[in-house]
Amino acid sequence: MMPIWTKSGKKHAVTLLKVQDCHVLRYISKEESGGKTSKLLVGGKNASPFSKSESAMEIFKEAGVPRKQKVTTFNVTDDAIIKPGTPLYAAHFRPGQFVDVTAKTIGKGFQGVMKRWGFKGQPATHGQTKTHRRPGAISTNKAAKVYRGKKMPGKMGNIYRTSFGLKVWRINTKHDIIYVNGSVPGHTNCLVKVKDSKLPTYKDCNKNPPFPTFFADGDEKLPEDLYDEEIFQFTDPSVTYA
Amino acid sequence: MGVKGATLFPPALEGTPGSSTYRLPSLPPATLGFSNCAVQLENTGGVCVNYFIFAGCFSFSGSRIDSDGKPAKFQPPPKPVIIDKQKQREERRFLSPEFIPPRGRTDPLKFYIERKDMIQRRKVFNIPEFYVGSVLAVTTADPYASEKSNRFVGICIQRGGKGLGATFVLRNVIEDQGVEICYELYSPRIQAIEVLKLEKRLDDNLMYLRDALPEYSTFDMNMKPVSRLDSEEIPVNKLQVRMKPKPWSKRWERPKYNIKGIKFELPEKKMKEAQKWSQPWLEFDMLREYDTSKIEEKIWKEVSEALQK
Repeated sequence: MMPIWTKSGKKHAVTLLKVQDCHVLRYISKEESGGKTSKLLVGGKNASPFSKSESAMEIFKEAGVPRKQKVTTFNVTDDAIIKPGTPLYAAHFRPGQFVDVTAKTIGKGFQGVMKRWGFKGQPATHGQTKTHRRPGAISTNKAAKVYRGKKMPGKMGNIYRTSFGLKVWRINTKHDIIYVNGSVPGHTNCLVKVKDSKLPTYKDCNKNPPFPTFFADGDEKLPEDLYDEEIFQFTDPSVTYA
Repeated sequence: MGVKGATLFPPALEGTPGSSTYRLPSLPPATLGFSNCAVQLENTGGVCVNYFIFAGCFSFSGSRIDSDGKPAKFQPPPKPVIIDKQKQREERRFLSPEFIPPRGRTDPLKFYIERKDMIQRRKVFNIPEFYVGSVLAVTTADPYASEKSNRFVGICIQRGGKGLGATFVLRNVIEDQGVEICYELYSPRIQAIEVLKLEKRLDDNLMYLRDALPEYSTFDMNMKPVSRLDSEEIPVNKLQVRMKPKPWSKRWERPKYNIKGIKFELPEKKMKEAQKWSQPWLEFDMLREYDTSKIEEKIWKEVSEALQK
C-alpha cells in the first residue's frame, strides 16, 4: 500500500495489484453452463505443471498456456467473448473506473467468539470464575434448541470476501500494475480477482473502456503511466491555494 | 584543524611604514626545526594533512636595503598556496533513510516503483539532507491562512516511515506552549524545506524533549540559517539535556530507550533499578540482524544516477 495525493492536497491510501501472466483459458457458452450469460475461464500467475494430473492440465494444453495457479470464471455478454489463449493486461482497466476486488482473507485459524464475532465477554474481576472470554448464553428457554448459524467459536478467515466500489487511480502499463483505492482483502502477494463494479452508482462511470479487452499487439500505443485527472503527478510543482 | 603555534599570517609588522622588518611570531622550539619554506599543519582529529608552501622565504631581522642604497618598497609577503593532497577524499554520502526498504515479504518491484516516484518528486522539489536534531523551517500551503502559506520552525525529533509516506516531526515551544507538527516529506502541500542548523544529536529519537525543560525545545521563529562549509563533517551536538521532575511520559532511564542525551539527576538506586529491565541478549540475537549495507549501496547508485540526469 502506498499514499497518493490529489491536486487539492488530500491524501488517499492505495493498494498496488500486479496483473501477472493472465490468459483466457476457455469459453463456455450460455447453454453449456446453464446460466443467464456465457462464461470465460481466466487463469493467472504461472505455476509448475508437474504437481497436477493430466486431466487437470487439459484446459491449459487446449489454450496453449503454461499451468496457472488460479482459475476463475467471469460472466460475459456475447459481444465481449475473447478467444482462448489471449493474454490480458492491466490496461484492460482505465483510471477513473470503479472495480470490485475479491480474495481469500488472511486465515486466523481457530478463534474464540470475542475475536471472531466481536462479543463483549465478561468482566475481568468482581468474582468471575473462569469466565472472561466465553459466549455466555446461546439460546432462550422457550426455543428449547440452538438455532442454525449461531455465532460460536470456529475457524476464522481464509474465505472469499469482496471489497466493492474501489476507484482505480493509476495504471502502469510497463509493469502491469493497477493502483486501487483503499484496502483489499488478503495478505501481501496473494491472488486476487478484479471485476468491474456491480454497484448501481458506478453503472455508467466507465466511458470508453477497451472493449472487449486491451490487445498488446493492436494499434493503440499507451504511455507508460496512465493517471486519473485528479491525481497530483510528481512532475508538477507543489500545490498552492490561490 | 589545529595549528601548532600562534597565527602565521599576517605576521606582525613593526616599525614605520617605510622600513620593512618582519618578526616571526614566537613559535615553540620544536617547530623551529622545520625549514622556513614549508610548515606542516596537523589535523587534530582527522586523516587529511594540508601543506602550506611559501613561494619565497623571508628574512628574520634587519631592514632591507636595495642595491641602490634606497629603502626598498614594502613587499607584502606572498600568499600561501594551499594544495589539498586529498583530492580523492571520499565524498560524504547521504542516503535518506526512507529509501531503505523495511524487512518483509513485499515484492522488491513495489519498492522500485515507489523509488521512481520519490526520485521524480526530488527532481522537482529539493528535499535537503537533515538529521534528527537539526533545526528546520517548513512552509506549507494552507487554504485557511491569510497568506495561503504557513511557516513553522522547529527541531526535528523523529524521522519515521518508509517510501513515499516518510514523515518527520518538528518541535518548538511557542508562547510557553509546546507544539509538534508531523510533516510528510513527499506531500505536495509542502512548498519549501530549509535547514537552518544542520547537526546530529546523541540519539536517533528526541521524544524525551517533551519531558525536558522547555528551554531545550525553544527556537526563534525568525532564526537565521547557520552557515557551514560543504566539506565539513556533520557536527554531533553532545548536549545532555536536563529534565523536568518526574513523572515523565515514558520512563526514559530504562535501557530499552538507550538514551545518551539526558543528564539523569536521579538517585543511584533508581538508575540501578532501571537496569533490571535490560535485555542483554538482544544484541546477540541473529534473527534481528538486518544488514542494509549492500542494499544501501545499490540504492545509492540508483538514486544518485537518476538525480544527476
